[in-house]
Amino acid sequence: MVNLTIDGKNIEVKEGTTVLNAARAAGVEIPTLCDHPQLTPYGGCRLCLVEVEGARTLQPSCTLPVNNEMKVHTDTEKVRNARKFVLSMIFSERNHFCPYCQVSGGDCELQNAAYAEDMTHWPLQPNWKPFPVDASHPFIIMENNRCILCRRCVRACGELVGNYTLGFEERGAESALVADLGLPLGESSCVGCGTCVQICPTGALIDRWSAYQGKETEVDVTKTICQGCSIGCGLDVLTRDNRLVRIEGNWDDTVSGGLLCEVGRFNPMDEERERVLTPMLKANGSTKATTWEDAMAAIKDQLKSAKGKAAAVVSTRLSAEAMDAFKQVCQAAGVDKFFSTEGSQITGPATKAASLLGKPFETKMDALHYADAYLVIGEDLTKDHQVLSFFMKRRLPDGAKLIHVGKADSGFNNFADAVLTVPAGKETAFLEDLKGLLSNDSAVEKVAGIYGLDAVALAESVKALKSAEKPAVVMGSRYDFSDEAAAYNSVLNIANDLKATFISTKGNINSLAAAQMDLDNTLDLSGVELVILAAGDEVFSQQFMGKFEKVPTMVVFSSYVSPLTAAADVVLPVTNWLEQDGHFLNVDGRLLSAKAALKASEGIYSNVDAFGKLADSLDIKLSSTWESALNAATAVVVD
Amino acid sequence: MAKPKVASDWLAGCAGCHMSFLDIDERIAQLVELVDLRATPITDLKEPDKDGVTVGILEGGINNTYNEEVAKRMRSRCKILVALGDCAVFGGVPAMRNFFTLEDSLNRAYIETPSTDDSGKIPSSPELAVPTRVRAIHEVVPVDVFIPGCPPDADIIFYALAELAQGRIPKLEHKNLMWN
Repeated sequence: MVNLTIDGKNIEVKEGTTVLNAARAAGVEIPTLCDHPQLTPYGGCRLCLVEVEGARTLQPSCTLPVNNEMKVHTDTEKVRNARKFVLSMIFSERNHFCPYCQVSGGDCELQNAAYAEDMTHWPLQPNWKPFPVDASHPFIIMENNRCILCRRCVRACGELVGNYTLGFEERGAESALVADLGLPLGESSCVGCGTCVQICPTGALIDRWSAYQGKETEVDVTKTICQGCSIGCGLDVLTRDNRLVRIEGNWDDTVSGGLLCEVGRFNPMDEERERVLTPMLKANGSTKATTWEDAMAAIKDQLKSAKGKAAAVVSTRLSAEAMDAFKQVCQAAGVDKFFSTEGSQITGPATKAASLLGKPFETKMDALHYADAYLVIGEDLTKDHQVLSFFMKRRLPDGAKLIHVGKADSGFNNFADAVLTVPAGKETAFLEDLKGLLSNDSAVEKVAGIYGLDAVALAESVKALKSAEKPAVVMGSRYDFSDEAAAYNSVLNIANDLKATFISTKGNINSLAAAQMDLDNTLDLSGVELVILAAGDEVFSQQFMGKFEKVPTMVVFSSYVSPLTAAADVVLPVTNWLEQDGHFLNVDGRLLSAKAALKASEGIYSNVDAFGKLADSLDIKLSSTWESALNAATAVVVD
Repeated sequence: MAKPKVASDWLAGCAGCHMSFLDIDERIAQLVELVDLRATPITDLKEPDKDGVTVGILEGGINNTYNEEVAKRMRSRCKILVALGDCAVFGGVPAMRNFFTLEDSLNRAYIETPSTDDSGKIPSSPELAVPTRVRAIHEVVPVDVFIPGCPPDADIIFYALAELAQGRIPKLEHKNLMWN
């Protein structure tokens, strides 16, 4: 421990702490711009200069480690003058006229810093050099005229996301933020995760969907979770007058530490599907709006006539509460076939393996932060579960190796040290052979020949995996394995042989819960006369929807209009993910809680309430058993 | 003690700061008890007294030789010069044209606008002031009090004028500074 004095306060901190963090711990505020808690200290803006007794010049507190007996002053005239000077220089470099900026009035750290120093004007006027504005990206506007060159975005793009799209060209006052080597952002390697927008202290990177729609002081913030995939990143959902303004990552979140991908941050802003606003009933060939009561009465009749030939299908985006209520009401109504919208293709094998083993065996995704070699199988992490790819990509500059066994068109191939693309249909066999190579690599050339692989790449991959101290195996769901369970077991065996941590990416946000509740069975609708589909707000593929074409009678609970609701005999409007509370079991088997950020229109019920209404009309009593239902099966991920 | 004399004028601005000044509403009655309001752009007297005023207030930035003249005259005739509003303090919205050349700006204004017909031309009478780069007041003459804001809130203007009327230099800090 180190003892030091900051503004007369004696404090004790761990060795290696920066003066800035020591001051914060002691409750002394030092203004900063280029510093961010999620990034490594940079020392670029010089706003955090402090006076250290014995030091010849002012020192940047963000990069200065504490010393024993150090005496630091943060509020002397010299320091205050330096801060004003630094701010004056920053203001003079670009166009920082607040009245024409989207973030002014509370959301701009530069303006706030100037306010904090009681700056009434700029001692130095700007140099009036205009920079081009890049509005080529569908979600992000890059406005170099507002840039203060703090490079938080560049560091976030590299250190946090591992994408290294952003960088600077030119030097000094000419410095300009660019994507790749000067490509328009919209045509660059940007993955649209928006971390740069969230981390930008000024209006240099803004989100075009929320711009000018409300400052942070004018919006309501709901802390909830993203339901775009199985990861469940922590969100701050910004709303104003029951309207979605913006989605941000929650920096304090323990799942992803504030990182989001395009799917979580921007796609919900771009939701164009039409809502189901009222219950609909098909009679004499045409579909008409009806009341909940009449719709429920119709379902009651349909259930009666389809006795023994009814199936229930539940979306893996529904909350555990909703899944449990749905299962209870369907079971009591005599439905005995239960399926999920994933049809056991994705998470099912994991649950089955756990129940066979009798114990959990997967690792939490935190392991990815420490791994030194990644074997990613059958997943395009640039499209699904993107945040997992960030966890890996940012480790690559430190020497971590990435071996990708995936399809030829996977965007993730660009980041891999070796890409092993095997012919369709031979994936499972290859995994078995790969397992063989890990114990005896003499057959590398033979195996490479069988699958048409580059023998050198395969040999290097085997070597990298075997020599890794902390390998991690990540299994995805992009391959159409003929036997999912067999493939899953092969991968599991590889992981065991490598003594690697094993993570399967799973499917939607609650796919693990559906599997644990025994709702995730292989979809088979032969002989079924009535399907009750709890579709929630899920987006379905043509292929999935095609499976329902031959079903004589369909009841669909859905947030959005789709070919399925058009074909349904009864349609019930339910809330979407932003409008309902609930619990979810994420990829780690962690129970996450979501909070409603928006209120649904009149007549649209939450899934839980909608199933409650159905239960009432069928005289079924529901009980809240979702927690025990989740624990009924063997957990997949080691706690 | 004689009441301090106050004069004001507007330059390259939109008159919005003077409108915000009028938003002090009935408090203007309190103010005239404390000060002798002399020349302003919205009263009959247009030029500050030759024998000087205590407080001179300028709204707007300086975008031509005439504005320069007015600013210099106000400076020479007042003890305390107040820059009122973002244009006076920073250059403000008119200063957006500084990102283009003067020639481009004039072309745009007098020739290229969709409403201009073929006879559009840039005025060049020797009687007209010569346009310049848009400058904040303090780039041309020394300023004593800066009141930023687009426009500054009526409460802030009242606070500043009331302080000046009572012989104090207003201190704009914390909440008083955060006009938005």
